[in-house]
Amino acid sequence: MPTDLRGLADLDRIIHEPARLALAAILSVVESADFLYLQRETGLTKGNLSSHLAKLEEAGYVAIEKTYRGRIPLTLVRLTDAGAAAFKAYRARFKKFLDKT
Amino acid sequence: MVDIEKIEKRTVQSYYDDGLGEIALGLILFLLGGVFIAQTIVRERSAIYQALGILSIIVVLSAALLTGRIVRLLKRRITYPRTGYVAFKKKERSPKRRAVAGIVAAIIGASIAVLYGLSPSVSTLFPAVNGLLLAVAVFFFAHKVGLTRFYVLAAASAVIGIAIAAAGIGEIKGIGFFYMLYGITIAISGVITLVAYLHRYPRAAAGSLEGPDAH
Repeated sequence: MPTDLRGLADLDRIIHEPARLALAAILSVVESADFLYLQRETGLTKGNLSSHLAKLEEAGYVAIEKTYRGRIPLTLVRLTDAGAAAFKAYRARFKKFLDKT
Repeated sequence: MVDIEKIEKRTVQSYYDDGLGEIALGLILFLLGGVFIAQTIVRERSAIYQALGILSIIVVLSAALLTGRIVRLLKRRITYPRTGYVAFKKKERSPKRRAVAGIVAAIIGASIAVLYGLSPSVSTLFPAVNGLLLAVAVFFFAHKVGLTRFYVLAAASAVIGIAIAAAGIGEIKGIGFFYMLYGITIAISGVITLVAYLHRYPRAAAGSLEGPDAH
């Protein structure tokens, strides 16, 4: 495999997917956000958002907390330390790859 | 390709989508300006004059302590049911940045004091100095956040400050008028933003705040 493409292949596939990358980018700036906020900002459908969050949660990149605001149920999402580190590493690797090509 | 920086910037900008912060800040500046003007109306060294001096300090202190809480309360009622809840990371300012900001503020303060000492008539320019200093601060903020309306507000600060100084209203009264006019300008900008926001985002259905059952 050419060196350039190897750099691309080394990228974290969990984060590399565009919708999950957008979610990680949003969550990297905030402390936590609820489901509605993430849905509005990403433009994803409820089902799609749920499925991408499930993948990120499975990888240990996000923590999802079911809570209540008054009597209204609320789903809060935040990037874990592992998620923040993975996002940072992904960003650095992708930048390196873009600089090379 | 996903533009990470654009998404991060947009996330920060989303805090200002509702205009609530501007409305709160605008009203505080308006109130502060009103206190300054009231001071020029009453007799100097009278009890009311002293009380107004204390009131101006109370306005500044309560602004520092209460604005954040009031904006959060309004966001809970207006913003979160429409565009969702988000909590931003608390920024820790580095000691180096704090020191630089302190030095810059000290230099500006000392320069104004020296100018005033050399020629007391320079005090007629205080509204312009206020306007320009605030314009610089708002300009840097606009650059950081990347929202056009804040550039307009930065320019408005400079224009209002210079216009009031040129009108020769006087030192304290001029500064009072500056804060009142600039406060109204910021509040109007906030109200326009809020109206547009309310039109764009109707209240979400109760279930939308909740993630799917899978979680």
